[in-house]
Amino acid sequence: MAGSEFLLEVRSEEIPARLLQPAIQELATRLFAELMELNLAPANMETGFTPRRLILMLKGLPSREADREEEFVGPPVRAAFDTQGLPTRAAEGFARKCGVEVEALQRVETDKGEYLAASRKVVGRAVSEVLAQMVPPLVEGLGWARTMRWGVGEGPWVRPIHGVVALCDGEVVPCRVFDVESGRETYGHPVLSPRPFAIRGVSDYRRKMARRQIVVRFEERRQRIQDQLEAAAQSLGSELVEDQDLLDRLTAMCEIPGTVVGRFEPAFLSLPREVLITSLRDHQSAFTLESGGMLLPSFITVMDRPDDPKGRVRAGNEWVVAARLEDARFFFNEDGKTSLEQRREKLEHLTFHAKLGTYAAKTERIAELTKEICDSQGWSELVEDASTASNLLKVDLTSEMVKEFTSLQGIVGGLYAEREQYPAEVWQAIYDQYLPASTEDAIPRGRVGQATALADRIDTLVGMFGLGLIPSGSRDPFGLRRAGQGVVRIVLESEMPLDLDLIVAKSVLLFGDLLDRSGQEILSDLRLFLQDRVRHLLGLRGYAYDTIESALAAGSSNLPDLLARVDAVHKVREESDFLSVVLAAKRIANILREAPDEDLEKVRLKEPAERDLHEAANALRNDIDRAEKQADYEQCLRAIAKLSEPLDRFFVEVLVMDENRELRNNRIALLQAIQRMISRTARLTEVVVDKSEHRDRGESKSSD
Amino acid sequence: MEIKNVQSFQELILRLQAFWAERGCVVQQPYDLEVGAGTMHPDTFLRVLGPEPWNVAYVQPSRRPADARYGENPFRLAKHFQLQVVLKPSPKDVQAVYIDSLRALGVDLAIHDLRFEEDNWEAPTLGAWGVGWQVMLDGMEITQFTYFQQAGGIELEPISAEITYGLERITMFLGLSRSVYDVDWVPGGVDYGLVRHQDEVEFSKYYFEVADVGFLKAQFDGYETEAKRCLEADLVLPAYECALKCSHLFNVMDARGAVSVTERVALIKRVRNLAVACAGEYVVSREKLGFPLLATTGESPLEKKEVNNGRE
Repeated sequence: MAGSEFLLEVRSEEIPARLLQPAIQELATRLFAELMELNLAPANMETGFTPRRLILMLKGLPSREADREEEFVGPPVRAAFDTQGLPTRAAEGFARKCGVEVEALQRVETDKGEYLAASRKVVGRAVSEVLAQMVPPLVEGLGWARTMRWGVGEGPWVRPIHGVVALCDGEVVPCRVFDVESGRETYGHPVLSPRPFAIRGVSDYRRKMARRQIVVRFEERRQRIQDQLEAAAQSLGSELVEDQDLLDRLTAMCEIPGTVVGRFEPAFLSLPREVLITSLRDHQSAFTLESGGMLLPSFITVMDRPDDPKGRVRAGNEWVVAARLEDARFFFNEDGKTSLEQRREKLEHLTFHAKLGTYAAKTERIAELTKEICDSQGWSELVEDASTASNLLKVDLTSEMVKEFTSLQGIVGGLYAEREQYPAEVWQAIYDQYLPASTEDAIPRGRVGQATALADRIDTLVGMFGLGLIPSGSRDPFGLRRAGQGVVRIVLESEMPLDLDLIVAKSVLLFGDLLDRSGQEILSDLRLFLQDRVRHLLGLRGYAYDTIESALAAGSSNLPDLLARVDAVHKVREESDFLSVVLAAKRIANILREAPDEDLEKVRLKEPAERDLHEAANALRNDIDRAEKQADYEQCLRAIAKLSEPLDRFFVEVLVMDENRELRNNRIALLQAIQRMISRTARLTEVVVDKSEHRDRGESKSSD
Repeated sequence: MEIKNVQSFQELILRLQAFWAERGCVVQQPYDLEVGAGTMHPDTFLRVLGPEPWNVAYVQPSRRPADARYGENPFRLAKHFQLQVVLKPSPKDVQAVYIDSLRALGVDLAIHDLRFEEDNWEAPTLGAWGVGWQVMLDGMEITQFTYFQQAGGIELEPISAEITYGLERITMFLGLSRSVYDVDWVPGGVDYGLVRHQDEVEFSKYYFEVADVGFLKAQFDGYETEAKRCLEADLVLPAYECALKCSHLFNVMDARGAVSVTERVALIKRVRNLAVACAGEYVVSREKLGFPLLATTGESPLEKKEVNNGRE
């Protein structure tokens, strides 16, 4: 590739795995942007990182900045020459500064008069010179979440920096990052190839790293690990329990990709699958294997070396895994000595929030709210299970197992309830209570689970909003956005026709006098907050934002009903009759903007167009009412669309703002009635119409 | 030269002490009070404050009442031993020297997997935090490695590197022993169980069943008052001892299940306040003395070692 190449390797002590990817991206993006600003963008840029290195490899760099003309303005001409026309000191000084004779100076006209000027050709800097200035502030200024200092106070950076290789076309780009001078020397793996060696350029770097088995490109390392994992799983006649996060984490934790397979006692397979997988993943960063849905007594993990010549790495990992699983079994058995019911009283000592009381108090509120939800849905047959599930919902927070594996909260309670032979609805409700935790998760599988999960989240949201702890910007310490998302998804996806406002109001009451803010404030803040979640979710489902807004503005705290409205608008919004009603609705809204309510008197309808409109509206009223009652909003909107023709005619033939006050008010009253009628399903004025596509039929007489 | 793998608990201690002594560390002795970790020894917690250089290594018996298991759990102990090293300022090659210390134990790194995994450290009761790693050997955590950033609520400069070896774990791991009690204390002789098992059984019973909560609370209050009196008398070291007492008493009460959630927060805050006050006072007291250790040398002991090697 033509042009120059640049290699940057910043070598440091081990950088936390989770920070590496964002850091290299930031470094690459910034360097690229700064080079581009100087028209020095490289043709190709590759990145790499290992726990100990951040690497950039640029190719096809322009070798230097373009030369450019720079103009300097000197003294005014009247001060540059004396009465005899000889150059003054000012003129001579300026000429000297520009490195030319006075005669060679030019004259430029400015708004302050004529000035002496000179232009100078500025030779563009070599790209290596540019890089020497660019690199140190970029590296030093990387936006780490948490930085440290070292030695006598060097830094701050994420970990101590040891070396900087900066080579442009094989030459060292001289610069200094903190107390480290750039050079061409680097080191291999700290244990297996610890001696320094010199680098000549990008391809030399790749070659010498490869010789030391160090794979600097993340994607390549991940692929190699993936291949090894799959080969190992296959040789055991099994499959890997997939975990992309774990694979990424392990890839970021080594520079030489190696894997090691270990075994544990089959007796540990009596532990729940979730516990085994979590223990191996969280404590040992290890993959589990399965065959036909059953776990194998084996695991695979990654090491920062190519092989395990004496089997010590395997033996060591097996030793630790055995100890960990021993612990897990101990917790599982210990917890089993006390039933969930007996354990409940411990919730009295577990604080949910200093101002909102203990988990025992929260449990009581959840139980009440769950009952309210079941009653509202007419699920009388579920009330008993729902009550049991609510009461046991949070009990696993007191278990040893959850103290050890916090990510298993809920799941552990569910497993224990299953062990104690509670009905499926009950244990599954406990098991599923934190679902959905992410966008990929499903909602709780049963009705009881959906009701309790909702009650739990609404209780948290109301409590926190009641204390004014509302998420703002990126600050959301209590995970309220996720809770809100959960509420919306559970209601929508379970198609539960639940009036959220009513449930929130009930929840506020259950807090008694614990909250700092009034029920009204909480209700309105929470409504806006949940609407944001609705917007987001429906947007993901592909509904246009104005479609969503129009339904939201019609006001419904029953989400499946809201969804039906959104969907109806979505389906009819391209139809031309509907669109012309939308335009009419906007016009009506403009006309009525500040008009007080008026009474319609049929006898005063004078013009044929207004009489026709009135009749058309009356004729459709029943259809609209019926469709609305059946929640058939599409039908409703189609009925409304039938007003398109009489509305258009009305606006062409009738002047609303008639000079006669009685006629005027009567027409306003007619439009008010129409407005009420057509805004029930969705507020049509929110729908954005591209007027170039829609032919606005006829001219208007109204002054809107 | 091949170094033979360490086979016993006491050998491990002797080798590590010798290794760090050779690198110029003051080989200190355990603090003669109950502490939860080597970090609480005044030779770490107080010495990392202020500008004076300091390099030290010592064993510290560390008490964790909540980890007591009546001598029945092969891994968890109410009291375990740490070997603590503090290097201030942190030398540039501190990681490499640490890796050398493993070689000195006879760990053949050509056949093991050594990794430094992120593990930041925070001690709310000490108003202290640092960043660093847990050092993993074949997937086993054998050392805590921390660059201290703050102690007693005070930003540190220079920065100290703290290396904490978990002695039982390392010995167990090197021999792949199934139980800590089976580890040889003396090579081929008295084992860990013979030396310590009764200790674990009795203290487990004491911490969980017998300790008198009223007595502990009164002691806590008393030592807190005494610490404040000492501070008023400009006696920072006795004050700090009283703070350590409070910290341990809190741990015992906690293990005994005698601390409610709200009490817990309040007690931690009281210990923290004492620790923070002592930290501030300590810096003042050293300044009054003219920071005597500044006169010793600005060099780190590791550099001195290299100079010695040069002469040999």
